[in-house]
Amino acid sequence: MALTISCPVCGKRNGYEFRYGGEDKGPRPDEKGLTPRTWCDYAHMNACVAGVQKEWWCHKNGCGVWFTIHRNTLTNLEVDGPEVTS
Amino acid sequence: MIQIKKRSPIHFKAGIEKTEERGRWTVVLAYKDEGPGPYLVDLSHKTRWDLQDKNLSGFNPLGREVPVAPGACHLQDGTLIYRMNRTQAVIWQLNAAAAEMPGESAYTNVSDVSVGLALFGRNALAVVEKLCALDFHDPRQKPPFLLQGPFSHIPCHLVLMERGQGHDGALLLTCSRGYADSMAHAILDAGDEFGLRAAGEQRFNDWLERLSGHQRQVDR
Amino acid sequence: MRLERLPTLRVNPSEQCTVNYHGKSYQGVAGDTVATALYANGVRVFGRSLKYHRPRGLYSLDGECSNTCMAVDGIPNVRAENTLAKNGMRVAAQNVIGSADFDWMGFMDKADWLMPAGFYYRTLHKPARLWPLALRQVRKAAGLGKISPDFKMKGRFSEIYPTADVCVIGGGPAGMSAALAAAESNLRVILLEARPWLGGCFDYRVSAFDAEKKLFERGRELAARVEAAANIRVFKHAPNVGIYNNNLVTAFQIGPPDGAYDERYIEIRATSVVVATGCIERPLLFENNERPGVMQVGCAHRLARTYGVMPGRRAVFSIGHDMGLEAAIDLCDLGMEIACVADIRDDGQAPDLLMALAERRIPFLKGWVAARTHGAKQVKKVTLRSIEGSVKRQFECDLLVASAGFTPLTGALTMAQARLRYDAHTGYFMPTQLPAKMHVAGTMTGRNHPLSIEASGRLAGLRAAADCGADNADAVTVADTHLGRLPGPERGTKLVTAPVKGRKSFICFDEDTTVKNIKQAIDMGFDVPELIKRFTSAGTGPGQGGIPGHNLPLFTARYQALSGATPLPTVARAPLVPTLVATYAGAHHDMCKRTPLDELQKRDGGVFRRIGVWQRARYFSEDLSCREEVLNVRNNVGMLDGSTLGKFRLHGPDALKALQRVYVGNMAKMSPGKIKYSAMCNEDGCVIDDGVVVKLSENEYYFTTSTARAGETAEWFRYHTRYDGWDYHIVNLTDGLGVVNISGPNARKVLQKVVDADISNEAFPFGGYREFTVQGAIPVRAMRLGFVGELSYELHAPAACMVSLWEILTEAGKEFGIRNFGVEAQNVLRMEKCHIILGVESEQRTNLLDLGLGFLWDRHKTDTKTVGTVALRQAEGDPNHFRLVGIEMENPERAPRDGSIIVDRRIRGYVCTARRSFSLNRAVGMALVEAESAGVGTRLEIFEDECDGRRLAARVVPMPFYDPPGNRMRM
Repeated sequence: MALTISCPVCGKRNGYEFRYGGEDKGPRPDEKGLTPRTWCDYAHMNACVAGVQKEWWCHKNGCGVWFTIHRNTLTNLEVDGPEVTS
Repeated sequence: MIQIKKRSPIHFKAGIEKTEERGRWTVVLAYKDEGPGPYLVDLSHKTRWDLQDKNLSGFNPLGREVPVAPGACHLQDGTLIYRMNRTQAVIWQLNAAAAEMPGESAYTNVSDVSVGLALFGRNALAVVEKLCALDFHDPRQKPPFLLQGPFSHIPCHLVLMERGQGHDGALLLTCSRGYADSMAHAILDAGDEFGLRAAGEQRFNDWLERLSGHQRQVDR
Repeated sequence: MRLERLPTLRVNPSEQCTVNYHGKSYQGVAGDTVATALYANGVRVFGRSLKYHRPRGLYSLDGECSNTCMAVDGIPNVRAENTLAKNGMRVAAQNVIGSADFDWMGFMDKADWLMPAGFYYRTLHKPARLWPLALRQVRKAAGLGKISPDFKMKGRFSEIYPTADVCVIGGGPAGMSAALAAAESNLRVILLEARPWLGGCFDYRVSAFDAEKKLFERGRELAARVEAAANIRVFKHAPNVGIYNNNLVTAFQIGPPDGAYDERYIEIRATSVVVATGCIERPLLFENNERPGVMQVGCAHRLARTYGVMPGRRAVFSIGHDMGLEAAIDLCDLGMEIACVADIRDDGQAPDLLMALAERRIPFLKGWVAARTHGAKQVKKVTLRSIEGSVKRQFECDLLVASAGFTPLTGALTMAQARLRYDAHTGYFMPTQLPAKMHVAGTMTGRNHPLSIEASGRLAGLRAAADCGADNADAVTVADTHLGRLPGPERGTKLVTAPVKGRKSFICFDEDTTVKNIKQAIDMGFDVPELIKRFTSAGTGPGQGGIPGHNLPLFTARYQALSGATPLPTVARAPLVPTLVATYAGAHHDMCKRTPLDELQKRDGGVFRRIGVWQRARYFSEDLSCREEVLNVRNNVGMLDGSTLGKFRLHGPDALKALQRVYVGNMAKMSPGKIKYSAMCNEDGCVIDDGVVVKLSENEYYFTTSTARAGETAEWFRYHTRYDGWDYHIVNLTDGLGVVNISGPNARKVLQKVVDADISNEAFPFGGYREFTVQGAIPVRAMRLGFVGELSYELHAPAACMVSLWEILTEAGKEFGIRNFGVEAQNVLRMEKCHIILGVESEQRTNLLDLGLGFLWDRHKTDTKTVGTVALRQAEGDPNHFRLVGIEMENPERAPRDGSIIVDRRIRGYVCTARRSFSLNRAVGMALVEAESAGVGTRLEIFEDECDGRRLAARVVPMPFYDPPGNRMRM
């Protein structure tokens, strides 16, 4: 509830306006050569960083845009960049 | 033979004072006992177009330019254009006569997709504050401006048209048409303590005329 | 007798107010709380305690313990100290059998030896069969308020979501100074105050603020300035409930009499926060320290000064700070007899106060403390002892004013994740590390000098303004220097207990926890306050740790002195004060969607149900099997409101790429005028949606989704193309177009009467898409689909025209006997055809292949990176999946309930939908079962809730049940 997220279109808003889209893992891999294991790694495995991670959010109750932010998972606060800002 | 009518999804309980037949719509011009404000006006018969394209600067809906920054609004001759994001804008014809939609496929007529409501007058923003956590009092934002976000928990386009003393002001909002009845009920309920009443289109037209007149003075 | 002329009063003695307590009327005055109104009328015992049924009375005035929790107008656990008395209020004591004064359970007090710390866990579990019995008895005897299961909350509740630059919590002198300072920078300031007025610790005191003004006058002066400031918004009678990340502050406000609400929830997003919540008193622990007649300094003082009620006739004071001396002197001046003042401190008292005590000949003992009160239901006598316990004296009295010292209200800070550490000088838990953009001010920083309190508030307010971008660095420096010159934090007392054993010294009133219980817990190895709190339940009651919050850590550290323990604070959590669930619920507007045909369908007798976000007509008669509705579609023609269907327009040069990404079919293979049925899967190949797609022109498509997925479809498209930068646009037309499904062998005859196009089977065959107008005016997008298994047209038309369209079709269908059918009839009809509904015939783990929909998947389009296809390829041939099968019941009259499980020795699957089919005169359905049970002819046993072990039998049969070749929908 208390989390705030900065939407690139609408600005800083309450977290409950957004949907979480998972860690940023890069574009979908090519299907050729994928093993069940490599596919699973892409689709389901997460780094679960205790610190700053880049992640996707959708402003579902607002402009509907998907975007990435950096969030410190220890404080549940959005941070400016990938570095740990304490 | 059944007469074909267009119908609003909103039915105010207030008694109807005066109506006008317009196209297939029966537009309520005034309700009985509208009071001194604030007012809630049903704008579901107004035409609205969705415009989406990678390059919005290449479009001139009704001869106007599309505002550049997301959230920016432009009101002229009763037509409101607001920019939603990088690729999307809405053209909302708030005056009585609606123009023909341009043929380009970037346009979609969305008049029926969402319902439009106007909430304006004394303490109108005090009603807003009860239903919505968005900041319409932000001094850095000058009306008119658009916020997209939840209003009574429902995603809406919210255009703050005017901000006056204290909580006086004017807000135009649109939400999915299916929510029209719930939304009107929630707003009237929240506005009860401030004397909010349903009002007819005349009240809206008068307000829009005054706002536009004021704006023309500012423009000069 | 009220003290009617005091300038400090917050009640209006000329205005009467009557409350009803256990059938008797009590006169209070306007402004009284329930507690003060009763106290003014001589009520001393307000209720009985949780376990021991000890009499409890007025102790503080801010609802920090359950002592004065009462049932008010049927609502249990109302804090009588915080609730304004209203005419006609019905008040009752809690946890009593009889009355508060004569409680039949009073003997429980003698049974404390039976209930050591943790007795509930430790003693009552052996033998196990006695546990339920013990549980029942304990529940009967213990507990606070009772609520009836059919209780309906009355009252008007509201909510408000203001935004602020600076939010100040606490409307005392520090908070008001902070608000005024922040407001200087033209910022939007919100001030929250729990009491119905501003003023805090200045409000009731008549000591001098400066040469001209007394403290209460200064308080009112500040309040007037705050209320006059245009950019300060004051919420009075609004206790802070929580504080979260990024300075989200929650509170609730109690409405004014005759206001628009009784209580309202407040949620404030602030840029910066000043916490100036002040201090409460730290209780003094001695034997019978909670006997009615024992109260805190502020309680006694404010009873007289704020409410005009004399707390007693003859009082003994046992205190540990100058505020206690100040109160004794003031109450003496107001006419109370002070038998003795015992001060924990040996020295450090303000000289002018000592002189004032001497002038009034008030006996004063330094280094003494109350050790025991005497009197069964009310204090009659007090034993005082010297701190080391060697000497004692006794005094007759009806009031013991007792307080060990102060303790800051740090709940808001700990909730906001501030680090607190014990400060040896003040004896307070003080923040060592505050979250960003949060500041503290006032007495909670240990400052008690009025000028220091205000100066600390001003500094915090200026710093908060700086957080919001105010250019006030010079002002901050000046304020900081000014504060540095004023008296700093004062030394506080550390004493916790009088020199007693502590068998009846209560550290927590709410949970009846004694000092002895804490010792037991520590002796059993619970060494940290957080653990002791849970084991003894001290601090878990309605007072939220207000009484034991400070003493528990202090005592724990003291008792473990050998190991050199420093006091560790316990953590406060929301709600910081008890909050009604009704207040959280607020106005509670039920937001649901209605279709354009809502009113028409109600008029036609539709029985509505909430299905997802929509209100839909489920039945059109009392017959919930929908026999007539079903047979009318099979034999004649019916109409269904399908407006809830998701509908989308997709346009742009990359529209096809987007379709290829999310749909499993090959969307490049579409011909004009024809619909393509396809499905969307998630990354696991599990089906999330199915629908039809129509190509309108190059780069323009129209598609439908299931009702449930409509809200998330645009998001889904954009998510799965988020790295691609494709140029396509999606318009959600769901609410903009209504849908009528006209189905049955006579459907064409009805439709042909009103449309301007040839809709013969040749011109508009099954699977076709056409656009035409109805009566030359209503533009319609028509699809020939077969969801219910009959000749069927799905007509999509502008929502505003839907009522007219429906009326036209009704009129045209009159000669055929057209009638409505609802969602349930459609459910039966489609089940007979084995057409699935996602979420009914599928669950999270059901993939495309399990449902027999593998034919929708185009295995050759690998370059589109279609969502779910990698998983589908891996799932092919996987035997560990449920399969969708048709079942027929052995008893044709009896269908099992949806969701019943299929068992032999273990669970083999479950029934998705099953109904008595009137078209077939059989009971049939669909089920998801293990692959080995999926073969046609397999006998399945179905276990239904409440079936008493008598299982129903079914057999796997081929699908579909009705019209297997599909001729009827192609007619």
